[in-house]
Amino acid sequence: MGISLGFLLAGTMVAGVLACGLPAQAQDVGIGLVVPLSPPGDPVGGQLIRRGAELGIETVNAAGGVLGGRKLKLYVEDSQGKPEAGVAAYRRLVSENKVAVVPGFFHSSVAIAANEVANEMGVPTMALQASAADITAKHYEVAFRTHVVDPVRVSAFMEFIKQKGFKRVSMIAETTDYGIGIADETIAQAKKAGGIEIQKVPFDRTVTDLTPQLLQIKAFKPDLVINIGVGQPLDLIIDQATTIGLLPNTPMLISYDAPVRPQYWKLHPQNGAGLYFIAYFSPKAPLSDIGTAFSKAYVEKYKEDPVYGALNGFGAIEIIAQAINAAKSTDPKALIKTLETGTFKSWPSNPVTFPRASGVYWHNWSAPVLILHYTKPMEDWKEAEVAVQYAPVAPKD
Amino acid sequence: MFSTELVVQTVISGVMIGVLYALMALGITFIYSIMRMINWAMGEFYMIGSYLQYALVALLLGPDLWWLAIPISAAGVFAFGLVVQWSLLKPIFRKPPEARDDYATVVTLALLLLLRSLATGLAGPNQFSPGSNLPVVMVGPMPLAGARVAAFVFALGALALFYCLLRYSWYGLALRATSQSRIGVQTAGIDVQGVDRIAFGVGVALAGLAGALLAPVFLVYPTNGLITTVKGFEIVVIGGLGSIPGALIAGVLLGLIESLGAAFIDSAYQNIYGFALVLLILVLRPTGLFGERGREA
Repeated sequence: MGISLGFLLAGTMVAGVLACGLPAQAQDVGIGLVVPLSPPGDPVGGQLIRRGAELGIETVNAAGGVLGGRKLKLYVEDSQGKPEAGVAAYRRLVSENKVAVVPGFFHSSVAIAANEVANEMGVPTMALQASAADITAKHYEVAFRTHVVDPVRVSAFMEFIKQKGFKRVSMIAETTDYGIGIADETIAQAKKAGGIEIQKVPFDRTVTDLTPQLLQIKAFKPDLVINIGVGQPLDLIIDQATTIGLLPNTPMLISYDAPVRPQYWKLHPQNGAGLYFIAYFSPKAPLSDIGTAFSKAYVEKYKEDPVYGALNGFGAIEIIAQAINAAKSTDPKALIKTLETGTFKSWPSNPVTFPRASGVYWHNWSAPVLILHYTKPMEDWKEAEVAVQYAPVAPKD
Repeated sequence: MFSTELVVQTVISGVMIGVLYALMALGITFIYSIMRMINWAMGEFYMIGSYLQYALVALLLGPDLWWLAIPISAAGVFAFGLVVQWSLLKPIFRKPPEARDDYATVVTLALLLLLRSLATGLAGPNQFSPGSNLPVVMVGPMPLAGARVAAFVFALGALALFYCLLRYSWYGLALRATSQSRIGVQTAGIDVQGVDRIAFGVGVALAGLAGALLAPVFLVYPTNGLITTVKGFEIVVIGGLGSIPGALIAGVLLGLIESLGAAFIDSAYQNIYGFALVLLILVLRPTGLFGERGREA
């Protein structure tokens, strides 16, 4: 009796462990999502992508799923903005959860590191808000991206600098692939343009007191400061620059779209005004039919308008679902082929493609880049002044 | 580039941040002196102090009463410290002496993960700022946030108060005696476990105080205690484990070296300068600037 009970218990435990370890129900198609959900990454950025992706999964499943009725199942992993955590997350998703594709990747360093492993394991990645050139410039078969690349972002900076007639530009840049990539690209494009003196002040993103760096910038007397921090450093730079009198006397350009988030005005109710920032989506631009439906569902669920991160999270799931259906398979090689050759519908009104283009434009699609300007405190980002609208032109292969 | 104004501004900035680092280091070194254990979750007590400050200012007292929120936050962390000491750390002293370090390390590391996860779960991963309506203050040629100046003044006051209590009160005498010999003080009728409880509470309250003071300057989020803890441990090594003047002087030294290095050598390596100083001290004076070689039986 004792032995039988022991066997029963052991059997139950083994069954329990196996059940927990199973990737999903047999008919489900697993999709991984690697995003930062805790510091030192940008958890708000990760959370917005996650919200969009979750609604994307709900939308696709409500419409019947993929491959004639199989449901999509999302597996979310926290990269913490750290390459090693992102790589471990990718490995776990592919080995344990058997996912077909791994979108996400807010931080460039994480995307670059994960792509090295993806190149060996074969399951494609899709970077949704990571812009470093190396993500696509290495021409890995597995690497896809639906986001603006560094040279395009910097071209928008240069357009802005030219328009305003700035001659002395300081950059405070975090020492990550993103920060240094953008800073170096800006130096290269400024040199090419001529007549612009550039100061590059790098910082470690774990540092919280950036006063010494900002004092150097103040001493340089720039016409413009480009804030190339991501997450918490970005906010610390704004506050500490205000304290030492750099802001609002010198205009500041933020290198990504963090100021469109509701959190921005909570942290900077006064000193957030007057700043310029990169955005990838204008509320004045038309959305596709699925983008409009998503926007409505998002407002209903979260009581706020979706911003670019959420739209791109949603778009990625839609693109992946369409690719799985077109490939009639979840096999990574078939998916890669379909993504390269197909045309997909996402949140913008124009179609999405991932051609085998030259340079950084390999497997890359991106929305137009805007530079928006908050002219008053607590301004709705949808009302922000459009200072620059820059449409990237990918070179033909 | 090397203007006098920039040098003076950088020195002021370094001294200001150094004193605040010292507050954190003091908590670490004080707990070690009495309990002979390292509290690896020190940064999480800093984090709790910052969240309490944010909650009190944003939800209850309002920005005008920020100064009242600071002692309340520190007291809240003190009370939480008493509970942690009683429930998790007291059993250390039932273990054989050689197992105490391992036990304390495991318990405080587990506490670190638990508190960080709890903060993320309860308040989300977002950043918060309690805000400050204090005006910018000119200290020589250096404009400083009113909140940072207030933090500096509070920190100096707390350090002075702590020193006086330790030096001139009966309980301070008991604490100092315990740090010299845990067995010896028991023969004098001192309740060592009670001393431990107070020492742990005061030590983590110092971290909580630093968190509350720096909340409007460095923001509030689940891992905000991490970097300050690292600085705290660096200061303990530089100043000498168990030395209060050492903590203050090493804190200022670390703040200065980091600021000057970032401004005049390479700003990308701000954290490295502190570690370089730690290595130098370990080579030249392994017990730290003010530390004393321990007596071993």
